[in-house]
Amino acid sequence: MMRTLRDLLLFFRRDLLIASTYRSPFVLELIEALFGAAMFYYAARFVDSPQLREALPRGTSYFAYALIGFVFFDYLHAALDSFDRSLQEARDAGTLEPLLVAQVPLPVIIAGSAVYPFVATTVRIAVYLGWGTLLFGFPLKSANWLGVAAVLLATLLAFSGLGIFSAAYLLLFKRGNPGKWFLLAVSSVAGGMLFPVNILPDWLQFVARLNPVTYALDGMRGALLDGAGFGLIARPLAVLLVFAVVLLPASMIVFSWALQRTKITGTLSHR
Amino acid sequence: MDLSLPFTLFSRRRHVINSGVPETAVSIESLDKFFPPTQSGWRAFLQPFVPSTCPALRGVSIEVKQGEAVALLGTNGAGKTTLLRILATLLLPTAGTALVAGQDAVRDPAAVRRQIGYHAGTDLGFYPRLTGRENLNFFGRLNHLTDSYLRTRIPELAGRFELAAALDRQVRTLSSGTIQRLSLLRAVIHEPRVLLLDEPTRSLDALAAADFRAFLKHNVLESRGTTLLFASHTLSEIEYLADRVAILNEGALVALDTPAALKTREGATTLEDAFSRITGHGPHALREPVPS
Repeated sequence: MMRTLRDLLLFFRRDLLIASTYRSPFVLELIEALFGAAMFYYAARFVDSPQLREALPRGTSYFAYALIGFVFFDYLHAALDSFDRSLQEARDAGTLEPLLVAQVPLPVIIAGSAVYPFVATTVRIAVYLGWGTLLFGFPLKSANWLGVAAVLLATLLAFSGLGIFSAAYLLLFKRGNPGKWFLLAVSSVAGGMLFPVNILPDWLQFVARLNPVTYALDGMRGALLDGAGFGLIARPLAVLLVFAVVLLPASMIVFSWALQRTKITGTLSHR
Repeated sequence: MDLSLPFTLFSRRRHVINSGVPETAVSIESLDKFFPPTQSGWRAFLQPFVPSTCPALRGVSIEVKQGEAVALLGTNGAGKTTLLRILATLLLPTAGTALVAGQDAVRDPAAVRRQIGYHAGTDLGFYPRLTGRENLNFFGRLNHLTDSYLRTRIPELAGRFELAAALDRQVRTLSSGTIQRLSLLRAVIHEPRVLLLDEPTRSLDALAAADFRAFLKHNVLESRGTTLLFASHTLSEIEYLADRVAILNEGALVALDTPAALKTREGATTLEDAFSRITGHGPHALREPVPS
């Protein structure tokens, strides 16, 4: 266990060192987050009305609702991107083979490649919410931080399975991933990012119920905006954990199989 | 004698040409490797599922004793790299067995990885925006080396490989030869029991190549008893380092003996001449093509 944590930390440190060689993006992202939060604030002011508040779950402001939807959607991006991006970078830089020859298990290599992107995404979200709170009155006072942490962890686990599937696809087919594109496209409509899923037609609501993004956003809004106790966020949490329990092992099996195939076909380092 | 080795290894001893040293470090038995033919157009989508029909290795059997240096010699495409990559657990054989220090490269690749150092013969394999030291630290830690060990071992080896100046520069700023030396350093830093090197001196200048060969001979082979299996086109390197030479031709092992015995057997004055007689290829076949 300690060995695994040390190895994960090694990967995090590696990615942090690499990221620190690019200095300006940190500043640019800080500014980007400010403009992003401002855009949602003014858009929300434009459309906000008592009727809209009533239509939104728990009567929250549209600004808070949309900002959470937008920034936490980033986790899905991070999950779907981080595994296959790091795989692609490792393949291009030729570091994939030295990693696979090193004395570190495959699941640790896969998990290690996602630690930094997830931490970076969390920091980016914190910056967004920080700007929102400091300048635009985002309501953080009633947040249940333990609940936020629990939803976050369950979200990461559930989304990681999707990311590993995506990496397995890349390993086999070398480029692109229609599944990733499809999931992002569907989730942007049927995931509750900018509007509640209950305004969607029945069939899209059904799609939304199959989508882990819906539960992640639901749980996060409950814990962050309402300070909902664990009783109230138990359902989204449980569903996310079910997704994690199913998707993580399944994706690891598929990834291992894809790796075996590339070792048979000799295409491990092919681009 | 290593009693932990499976019984089957003892029965395979009969294939060893130079018997006498008891321990087997690498045991390859009837190894076949086939690759699928490359697909193009829309069929490329089916590439991962195409049956493997193109032979790269055919029935190769070699045993390498602990502390022995064996060179793989052959023209481009003869199967040298494929063989090394199977032993490094980066490829799966189609048939046959490959054991490294008694561990099966297919059934227990993790155990094999604990025994090997591998150099792929390219100037890739490092994070370009990290320094040489940061890269070596990262890979060293992944191989369970401690910080304190790496703090002394990296400068020590870097001094030996004339890499001291490269340690604190980003890898993207280093020359191809320097990156290759870093890669060689990475392969030996954890003092592996078996060293697998694919064209170890390909991008090195003549002095660096000679220096590395001397390091391998004295500091790795003689003083540590490390087993070395390496592919090379440089015949002087092979004659300097190798106890035996395995000649591969179109995926098949066609000769395995000491350089002197190969020359005597073929009535040749040079290893190049012996190679030509054994494989039927002209002497030019071993030389790298000259860029036009």
